[in-house]
Parts: sequence; structure tokens; C-alpha cells
Amino acid sequence: MSSEAVVKLFFREAIARAMREAMAADPRVILLGQDVGDFGGSYKEFVGLKAEFGASRVRDTPVAEAAMVGLGVGAAAAGLRPVVSITYMDFLMLGLDPLVNYAAKARFKTGGQITAPVVIKTTAGAKGQGVAHSQSIEAWLMSVPGLKVVAPSTPADAYGLMKSALRETGPVLYVDHKRLFPMAGELPRGEAFVPIGQAVVRRVGRHVTVATHAYMTRVALDAAEQLAATGVEAEIVDLRSLAPLDIDTVATSAARTGALLTLEEGQLTCGVGAEIAFQVRERVPSLKVARVGALSAPVSSNPVLEAAVVPDASRVAAAVRHLLQA
Amino acid sequence: MMQIRAFEGALSARPDHGFQLYSSGEEAVAVGLCAALSADDQLFSSGRSIGPALARGLEPGAVMAELLGKVAGPNRGKGGRGHLAKPAAGFFGAHAVVGGNLTIAAGAALAAQVEGRLGVVACLFGDGACGSGALHETLNIATLWRLPLLLVCSNNQMSVSTPVAQALAPQRLSDLAAPFGAPGVTVDGMDVLAVRRAASELVRRARAGEGPAFLECVSERFSSHSSSTRETRSAEAMAAIRARCPIDRLAGALAAHGWPGRAELQAEVDAEIRAAVAFADASPYPDPAEALVDVV
Amino acid sequence: MIYSLAVPGPIEDVEEVRVLEWHGEAGRAFAPGELVVELETHKALVEVRAGQAGVLRRILCPSGDWRAVGEPLALLSDGPDEALPADAEGLASLAVDFEVS
Repeated sequence: MSSEAVVKLFFREAIARAMREAMAADPRVILLGQDVGDFGGSYKEFVGLKAEFGASRVRDTPVAEAAMVGLGVGAAAAGLRPVVSITYMDFLMLGLDPLVNYAAKARFKTGGQITAPVVIKTTAGAKGQGVAHSQSIEAWLMSVPGLKVVAPSTPADAYGLMKSALRETGPVLYVDHKRLFPMAGELPRGEAFVPIGQAVVRRVGRHVTVATHAYMTRVALDAAEQLAATGVEAEIVDLRSLAPLDIDTVATSAARTGALLTLEEGQLTCGVGAEIAFQVRERVPSLKVARVGALSAPVSSNPVLEAAVVPDASRVAAAVRHLLQA
Repeated sequence: MMQIRAFEGALSARPDHGFQLYSSGEEAVAVGLCAALSADDQLFSSGRSIGPALARGLEPGAVMAELLGKVAGPNRGKGGRGHLAKPAAGFFGAHAVVGGNLTIAAGAALAAQVEGRLGVVACLFGDGACGSGALHETLNIATLWRLPLLLVCSNNQMSVSTPVAQALAPQRLSDLAAPFGAPGVTVDGMDVLAVRRAASELVRRARAGEGPAFLECVSERFSSHSSSTRETRSAEAMAAIRARCPIDRLAGALAAHGWPGRAELQAEVDAEIRAAVAFADASPYPDPAEALVDVV
Repeated sequence: MIYSLAVPGPIEDVEEVRVLEWHGEAGRAFAPGELVVELETHKALVEVRAGQAGVLRRILCPSGDWRAVGEPLALLSDGPDEALPADAEGLASLAVDFEVS
């Protein structure tokens, strides 16, 4: 794209831009969360919103995730378009009742009379903060009928997926990642939307398909560089949406490469990869498949222990080589 | 109140009544509360929804249809008693999770506040929900933000098999609002006029932007917790409880002023319920394909 | 002598920065300790102060542009009239103090 057509922003600025555009266009969009007002968000991803849109629409909440999510769900059901910021994904668990038992079921249980278009934005991932501040549990939410789950891996998608999430008619869980905030990237200068339910090929390759999402997409791209030096070309598919899942894009790639590696930062058991591997195998029966994820242990704040558990580029590259040799 | 009593009587007599929680004994709470609400307001309830739904003005035939899983119910038979709802009629709905509607109701009140609407949100729940963290989180934020929210606890003094004194430390449940600085009022939940009086003042206050309140209505549950839960209270206790009928109480108060009594109204009520049953029986079940409709 | 003012580092977690504001134009002389340029990282502001006296001669990276840690931002010189090279390659680095806030 020409320099006039794009703008380069930090990951946090991409989120702020999506919020600002949505809040300017629609008075029903509001923001609730801890430290989202004058503080501008834990990652500065909401800077300027309170000054521009006022204290009624941008509200700091106490530490009360069940109420925070419930308020957002109830306000959505009553006609607003709230974004609820849950700083750490680990604490989303406290708000699962209103999200799963009400928001995800509202349209169905009321026979279509009530919908709850709420965006729950939360930050996942391991970055030195310990066992209760490091989890990536998006796989837990993928199987909830009525709930959509998205996970950007670039500033452009952080912007585009938030724009799309704020146009949905039901609840959306938007999962970003601690290690993505240092990133900067190009966005279209004009308004743009990234469709929910659509994966994207980040790097073309003919020997293996790596299906991944969020920060692990960056890790996969690093692994692809390592592999390319030895003549192995990896195709990296960034899922972007976990529910609905774009299996077609992954399957089309896997049908061509003949080998599929799924990569996630969360647990392998009942993980994102387990679902993808099975669904792709249904479409591409003679396929070599392997999964990479965190080891089955809590993620310590200790850097040595964290690094031992969470996948890195070397582990991914080794897994690819092992898969291709089999 | 007679309508609720007769409705539940007709429903419970059917072999296909399904899993029900009855409001018998607590009619005055729902009816008194709804008499204080206007068309701009919304009512949320717990899974004990029959009384609240009928008190709010939903058609008995439609309610019966929903409880029996028929398409003519407001939820097309898909929610049942636990999720009965008709927001267009001011009944935002029941939610079957104990205490699960509290933060949702606060959110609906937040929406009214942000949009500058006059509507008040009332949320009806039982003593069983008062141990829930959600109640305290809701009282805190609603008071802080002065949300137009009225929390109404029908304290029927039992949570399934657990008497209230064994589940909750406070003697007066309305004292639960005190730490947050919101008004807490306790009234006799068997006196429909007392409920209406207290609710009206608290609704006025909320509508004027003065914030939430906690209204405790001490009531009695005339049946066991549910249609499939055995009664744990003694026969003597039940006899005394059923003698405190809120309908008889109102009828007695009105008789002093020459108003008609239960006997005069019973025929009309029974006919209405017969028509409701016929309406529900005439409605079909949803097509199995509806299991996948309105999911996302 | 001509110096290159580069993006200072290392700064924890930072790979690239955006120039926020230059505190002077070409021709301005800076004394040690004076604020030369402010840079934005993903979560903080970096104030870059002159660690030695120098004259700002050519801004290579205008406000709003991006550079990685270590890349040249501007050319400075001891004297105001020294001839400038075409680019910053091979130049000595200007001493700076930087503060991340």
C-alpha cells in the first residue's frame, strides 16, 4: 500500500482508534472496566476516550468481574453496545455466569426477543506475571453456543476485529495478548473491518501448514524463518476467529501441504488445536497432524520456568521437523 | 392474586405440569410491586416467575403456553418458566440462575441512565440469592452510580430445604443494603397494600435519580420449593403458613368497604384460567428445527 | 566533527519508536542536559537529552515517523558550519541521556 493509504500505529493505538470511531458513530457504545477512564487502560489502549466521550460513557468500575460483565450484558440486552474490559483473562472466570448463562443464551431462551451485543475485551498470555496472571483459556469459550470468540495478532486486526465485534448482534469475547502490545503495524488509513470467522494466511509455504492465533502467530513466523534457512517452507495460517472457526482456510492449506501443525499458548487438552486437527482430518483424511501447546503445568512468574512451559520458535521448528520426518 | 392462585392450581393439577416453582403464598409481593411500576419500567424475576409474569400483565394463555413448551408462549416455548420473558410488556424476564439476574438488572438500569430514559428497573429475587456475591457487587455499584434500580427480596424464609436463619447472618435482610448507604426497607409480604406503598416510594426515589434501594417483603411459600422437591416443613407449620393467605387478607380489608369478595370473583377468574389452558392446549409444540434457531 | 543522534537503548520491551516532537530546528545549538527530542514507545515517553554540546544540523526522521532502537534520527556537529555527509553511515554517536516515563 502507498504511504498515503496506510498509517502505522502501536497495537494499543489500533484498539483506541476502533473504540474512538465506534463511540463517535454510535452513542450506544460505552466502555466499562478497571482503570479505563483517566488512566486510559492498563495498556493505554483507551487513552483519550473519557476526555472525548465523557464520564457517563467511559466508567471505571471497582474490582468486581461478575458485576462488570453482568452490567455490560444487561446494558447490552437493554439496548446499548458496551465494551467491558477485563484486564487479565484469568479473571474472566469470575464473570462467566452472566456471559455464558445469560448473554450467550439470551436470544435463544427468549425466542429472539432479547439479544446481548456486548464485547468482553480481555488480555491473555504469559509474560512474567505468574500462575494466576498468565493464562490463555480461549479454548474454554469456543464451544459455547451463542458466543463468538476472536483473537487478533496484529494492530490491523486488533482494529478491524474490534470494529466488527461492535457491529455484532450477540456477545463477542475479544482476546488480545500481553506480548502483542509492544508491536507496531500498518492499518488502512480509512475505516476498515476485519470479518469475524475468516482466517488469513500470514506466510505462504508448501511443506507444512501451521494453524495458530494471537501471539503464537508471531512465534510461528519466527519459526518459519528458522525453518526457511534449512529449506523447509511453512505456511502460517492466523485463525483470527476461534468461534466461528474458519476451518476451510486451514483445510485448503493442509490439503496442499499434506502436513498440519496446530500451535497455541493454551493447553493441548481440549484445546484449539484439538478441535482444528479433528475437523481438518475430516476434510483431509490422509494428513500428518501434530499439536504444540503449553506443557501441562501452571505458568510460573519465574522466567526459567515460564520459558520451559510456553512454546517458543525453536520448539515449533523442532515440532515441524519431527512431523515432516514421520 | 386470585389469577395467580387459580393459574397455578390448574397447572399443578395436570399430569404434564413439568418442573415448576410456584408463587402461591407470595402473590402479594409480585402484585404489590407491579402496582408500583409504570409502562416505562422493567421487571426482572428469579425462576419463580409465574406470579411476577402474571402480575406484570402477561396474558395467562401465553404464560401457560410457555410453561407447557408451546409455540404461542412469549419465548416460543424455548425458555419455559425459568426464562419466561416479554420485554415489550415490561417483563424483561426470569432467569433460572439464583442471583443471576441481579447484575443483569443493574445493567439494564445503567442503560436507562446512560440514555436518559425515565424507566426504573425492578429485580425480584428470593432469600436464597442474598448470600450471593452478585448481590453485594450490585448494591455497591448501583449505589455508587445511583442506578435507577429497585431490588426486591421476597423472603419466603426458605431456600429449598434451608431455613433463612441457617443460610444468612443478618436477621433483617434489608440491612444488607446498609453498608452501601442505600435505603433498606422491610415490609409484611403478605400485605399487598403494604408492598405497594413501600415499592411506590422507592420507585419514585429511583426514578428521581436518588439511586437504588432494597425492599424486603417477608412472605410465605405455600408449596415446597418446586414440583419435584419434597416438603420439609411439618404439617402443623404448613397449616399455620397457609392460614396467612394474602388473598383472604386483602378480601377482608376490602369487605369492610363493601367490595366484592373471593366468591364473587372466583367464577370470573376460573373462566379466565380455563380459557388460558384451552389456548395453551391448542398451541403446537415448536418444530424440532427450532432447536437451532436464534442460537447466535 | 559530525555525530549521529540514534534512537537510544536498550529500553525494555521496545523494538521501535515513533518520533513525537523535536525541540529545535536545524541550526539550534544544544547544551548538555537540554531536551532534544521526545520519542513514543508502545507504553511510554522517552526524553532524549544532549549528553554533550552540539548543533542540530539535519533532522533525518521527522515527527510521526518510526525508527528502530539504534537507528539514526538526526545529524549534529560541534560547529555550525561543518560540511555534512550524505547520510549517517560511519559517524560517531552523539552522547545522550534518556529517560523513560
